[in-house]
Amino acid sequence: MIVSLSERGGDLALTADVCVIGSGAGGAVAAAELAEGGRSVVVLEQGPHWAARDFSQREDEMLPKLFEEGGMRQTLDGAVQILQGRNVGGSTVHNLCYCFRTPDAILRMWREEHGLEELTPEALEPSFARVEKELGVVQIREDEVNELNRIARRGAEKLGYSGFVTKHNRKGCVQSGYCLLGCSYDAKQSMLITYVPRADAAGARIYTGARVARIEAPGGRMKRVVGHAIGPDGSLRGSFEVKANVVVLAAGAVNSPDLLLRSGLANGGGQVGENLHLHPSVIATGIFDEEVHGYRGIPQSYYIDEFIDLESDPHSGAILMPIIEFPGMAAATTPGFGRAHSALMRDYGKTAGLLVLLHDQTSGRVRSGDSLSKPSIEYELEERDAQQIAEGLLHCAEVLFAAGARQVLIPYKPEPLMLERGDDITEITRRGARHGQLVTASTHPQSTCRMGGDPGSSVVGPFGECHDVEGLFVADMSVFPTSLGAPPQITTAMFGDRTAHHILENWKRFTT
Amino acid sequence: MSEVEPRIRGQQAWHRLTRRAFLRSTGLATSLTALSGLSAVPALTSEGASGSAPFLSEDDTEVLTQIVERMVASDASGAPPVRETGAIAAIERLLQQLDPSLTQDLPLAIRLFDWGPIVFDFTFTRFVNMDAEAQDESIRCWMSSRISLRREAYAALRNLALLGYYSQDEVWPGIGYRGPLLKEGVGS
Ligand SMILES: Cc1cc2nc3c(=O)[nH]c(=O)nc-3n(C[C@H](O)[C@H](O)[C@H](O)COP(=O)(O)OP(=O)(O)OC[C@H]3O[C@@H](n4cnc5c(N)ncnc54)[C@H](O)[C@@H]3O)c2cc1C
Ligand code: SF4
Repeated sequence: MIVSLSERGGDLALTADVCVIGSGAGGAVAAAELAEGGRSVVVLEQGPHWAARDFSQREDEMLPKLFEEGGMRQTLDGAVQILQGRNVGGSTVHNLCYCFRTPDAILRMWREEHGLEELTPEALEPSFARVEKELGVVQIREDEVNELNRIARRGAEKLGYSGFVTKHNRKGCVQSGYCLLGCSYDAKQSMLITYVPRADAAGARIYTGARVARIEAPGGRMKRVVGHAIGPDGSLRGSFEVKANVVVLAAGAVNSPDLLLRSGLANGGGQVGENLHLHPSVIATGIFDEEVHGYRGIPQSYYIDEFIDLESDPHSGAILMPIIEFPGMAAATTPGFGRAHSALMRDYGKTAGLLVLLHDQTSGRVRSGDSLSKPSIEYELEERDAQQIAEGLLHCAEVLFAAGARQVLIPYKPEPLMLERGDDITEITRRGARHGQLVTASTHPQSTCRMGGDPGSSVVGPFGECHDVEGLFVADMSVFPTSLGAPPQITTAMFGDRTAHHILENWKRFTT
Repeated sequence: MSEVEPRIRGQQAWHRLTRRAFLRSTGLATSLTALSGLSAVPALTSEGASGSAPFLSEDDTEVLTQIVERMVASDASGAPPVRETGAIAAIERLLQQLDPSLTQDLPLAIRLFDWGPIVFDFTFTRFVNMDAEAQDESIRCWMSSRISLRREAYAALRNLALLGYYSQDEVWPGIGYRGPLLKEGVGS
């Protein structure tokens, strides 16, 4: 049963064994597993429930429908734009389907440095296996690698850089290229068409337009969740309360800590909202003589891992990934204006982007903002990370030139740096990548309710249960103990599965 | 259930405008630049504007149109002139549909942009009365100003202009974008 609270309006009072907040990579998995495990489950999702027919492939129509704060979420100082989903299925609805398990070296670091001895590859295997099976994770075929990704591969191979074609979660993909705007073909195996329907079929009651405002747990025991029915424009349409023995908070790494802070919960160690990592990313754009039309085909299939070696240093490194933006986005994220900008846009069809995504050590924080819809996000890139971004951009330029680009644009603000073939690309490292100097975005905020063995330095324990509140679990990207250094959807879903199974196995504890 | 979050609809009066509020309003469009986030915006398609009262006055619309013309340099590029696209109507529609708390100060930003050359740059001519070259120079002053408020206003209006213009179907052939695959019948 999927009910739109926006349309229903009015007040609502429910009881359930488990209340799941958020229906993205963490929440949808937890909800389905819990419902199939026999628990009565209520899922509260603030966003609407879209279907394939709603995805029009127009960025002007889709971006506002899919993203938090209408796509305008950003750090307090405006230096980093943050993209997160706001609909049934969360960010998986518009993500780009790279599928990676948690790197072994990262798990080892979490075990050794964060007191999480339980997190061994063997212990996590059942959860990974279940998630990958449900999402249909398979290797991308050679014939599915589009021109954008072939360019990145050509450049990397010429330079002898390590890279590979990844796995993904698509079935029957027509290679439209519009993953970022939601899949019109139900080919992307997002939560929207996998775990959410499973949860629904198993009897979970899923409410959309249901924005949680507070979690109540007097005396450290879960009591209820309260919030508002909201319309698509954020207008109030009513209120709800859900009484539950167990709450699984999976509202994403910005909203989850905001909810805990507003509720005054789980913050005994002062860690809620702290340790924010963003995987900040900056795009270098190559301009080629021939048409690329990189917006057609599977957007991301190749992955350059030459500049990250987690086995020897699990704390730093950068990944290079092909990327293309649609015209409105590309125009707005290309610095400058007037004739020079317009000339750049005339070459839009001949461009190929390569982004550097940083395994960041910088720690920011999330605080409650003026309103529930606008938490405050502080993040200032540290010098060492800035240097790595500059070096990553230099390698992006190298790869793009090696692949045949005639020019490479680096998005310095307010005017871009345009490098011609043969130019000295070390100009990038000379200029550097200081905080705020470059157009920067994040699609992977994480670690704001981090998992750890020590209640003084973490928010949740090894199965996602808050140290301070029995029956309150967090199961989204906020539990990552550190920056992941890899695409996060599979790790997030794995934690959702693991938390759900832990709750099922220990159910008696939550009823006494 | 008393915990209902009050929704702040933009009722801020002009005289209460603070620098902070202004920055926030400009932050609106600054954020439109977000990598993929520049989104923000309820449909900028080329349907007619809705029946509600216009967000911008006629004067403000003229200033905005001239700003968009210079931002996209549609005169020089061989691309469709701004006034022959739905760009301005699209921006107007966007402003009408966004949460007023985000857009309330934008008219002030537009007016400041118009009077900026006189107020800040001692050029004795309003933006709308300048020739194209002088307008470009004025925009550069905003872009590289030491006053962060001016740089923010530049970013806001720039992004609004670029997003509004490049969202128009008429513009796509000139930049090599083929448009939605659904239009080609795939999956429709
Ligand atoms: C553009 C983009 C591309 C990406 N590409 C990839 C990729 O290729 N591979 C990969 O591994 N990862 C990718 N990711 C990241 C991946 O999608 C995320 O790791 C994952 O979805 C995070 O899951 P989550 O459960 O933490 O949050 P989300 O999936 O974001 O879900 C959180 C949900 O909670 C809801 N919510 C928030 N607050 C409330 C509230 N108060 N009340 C009720 N509901 C609430 C939200 O509306 C949302 O639906 C991408 C992300 C983006 C944005
Ligand atoms: S590329 Fe494939 S998965 Fe992505 S939107 Fe197109 S059909 Fe869907």
